[in-house]
Amino acid sequence: MTFSLLHATDFADRLLYKIIPPLKAGMIVLADRYAYTAFTRDVTRGVDRQWVRELYSFAVKPDLALYFRVPIDVSVDRLLARRVKLKFYEAGMDLGWSSNPVESFRLFQGKVLEEYDRIVGEYELGVVDATGSITQQQRVVRDLVARHVESADTTREIPSEQSA
Amino acid sequence: MSSQPESPHDHGLVEGANGGIQPGGYYGRGIPYLPINGYPGKLIAIEGTDGVGRSTQIQLLREWLEVKGYGVVETGWTRSPLMQPTIELAKSSNTLNKLTFVLLYATDFADRLEKEIIPALKAGFVVLTDRYIFTALARAGVRGVDRPWLRTLYGFAIAPHLVFYLKIDVETLIGRVLESRGMDFWESGMDLKHGDDIYDSFRAYQNKLLREYSSMADEFHFRVVDARRSVVHIQDELRRQVGAFLEP
Repeated sequence: MTFSLLHATDFADRLLYKIIPPLKAGMIVLADRYAYTAFTRDVTRGVDRQWVRELYSFAVKPDLALYFRVPIDVSVDRLLARRVKLKFYEAGMDLGWSSNPVESFRLFQGKVLEEYDRIVGEYELGVVDATGSITQQQRVVRDLVARHVESADTTREIPSEQSA
Repeated sequence: MSSQPESPHDHGLVEGANGGIQPGGYYGRGIPYLPINGYPGKLIAIEGTDGVGRSTQIQLLREWLEVKGYGVVETGWTRSPLMQPTIELAKSSNTLNKLTFVLLYATDFADRLEKEIIPALKAGFVVLTDRYIFTALARAGVRGVDRPWLRTLYGFAIAPHLVFYLKIDVETLIGRVLESRGMDFWESGMDLKHGDDIYDSFRAYQNKLLREYSSMADEFHFRVVDARRSVVHIQDELRRQVGAFLEP
């Protein structure tokens, strides 16, 4: 719970200082992870699905949300190939599912991916196949973004933080 | 951002006459990984605005309960080791807004709930809590935060077995606060920018808080205690009611 609420606090702070002002100024805001991360990660940690969604009801709904989907094996291979030391919380070590970081990562992130599959439809996330090369992925992303930016209605009303 | 609730009635706290909420159970959706049914401990909340005499009453109540043989655990607002330094730091800077304020308090509460309150209830202690979620609901409500959202947020809180609301009028309160430590920035609601005068701001802010608490009295089954009386008088009443509850 504290994990979930601390992240929500940080998110609220960034939303109010870093996201809403540039939106009001008509700029494009690129967010590396958004509330969806909480919906998947916190639920995997045992937080109630509906509760966490309502917790984040103060968030601005993105005009476009992209989900880079990758199978768990590819994810593990990529991280290990770069000889990255898996982070304690990223590997879900706090849950005590396995004392082996790689095994724990596999179990934890596997569950996270299941939650992502659940929300793809719920929140209409645009899915990008992230097994392809960076160039291929970027082509898809630019195509999706271009369609959105060009069709965007720039006069729309920006909700304030009290739209909860 | 929220999607449709699974049914119209299964989110947040039940508003109005909440006959469905069991003392000792979760108000709302709870913490799925911490089932708390059937725990032997008792949760007693002492609520009331600043300077109403809560800590004195809790100290006396604790001594009395311990002499009677009960194990007592005390907890209080913003006392979690995880969050207290952060909350103090945030209050001392000017970066807090009402939303982050609410969420920091909720984090502190969640930490104490998981680490102090639930384990103590499991072990059969009487948990005395100096303020409870009603303080958060009142402060945020006064600041214009959406009330249904707040109730959903605190759906992971446990409904106390007893909630004592030490009720006072603003005149008496002003006298007491001035006699003791004086008015401070946050207790005077100076962040609400009612004006530069701390006295006027304190009065306006505490008045609003008192109205907010009163509006929750029925919803959360407050036992209202007249806090204008002497310490001994109030303590007698608390002991009588706690005694009747613990040893019927």
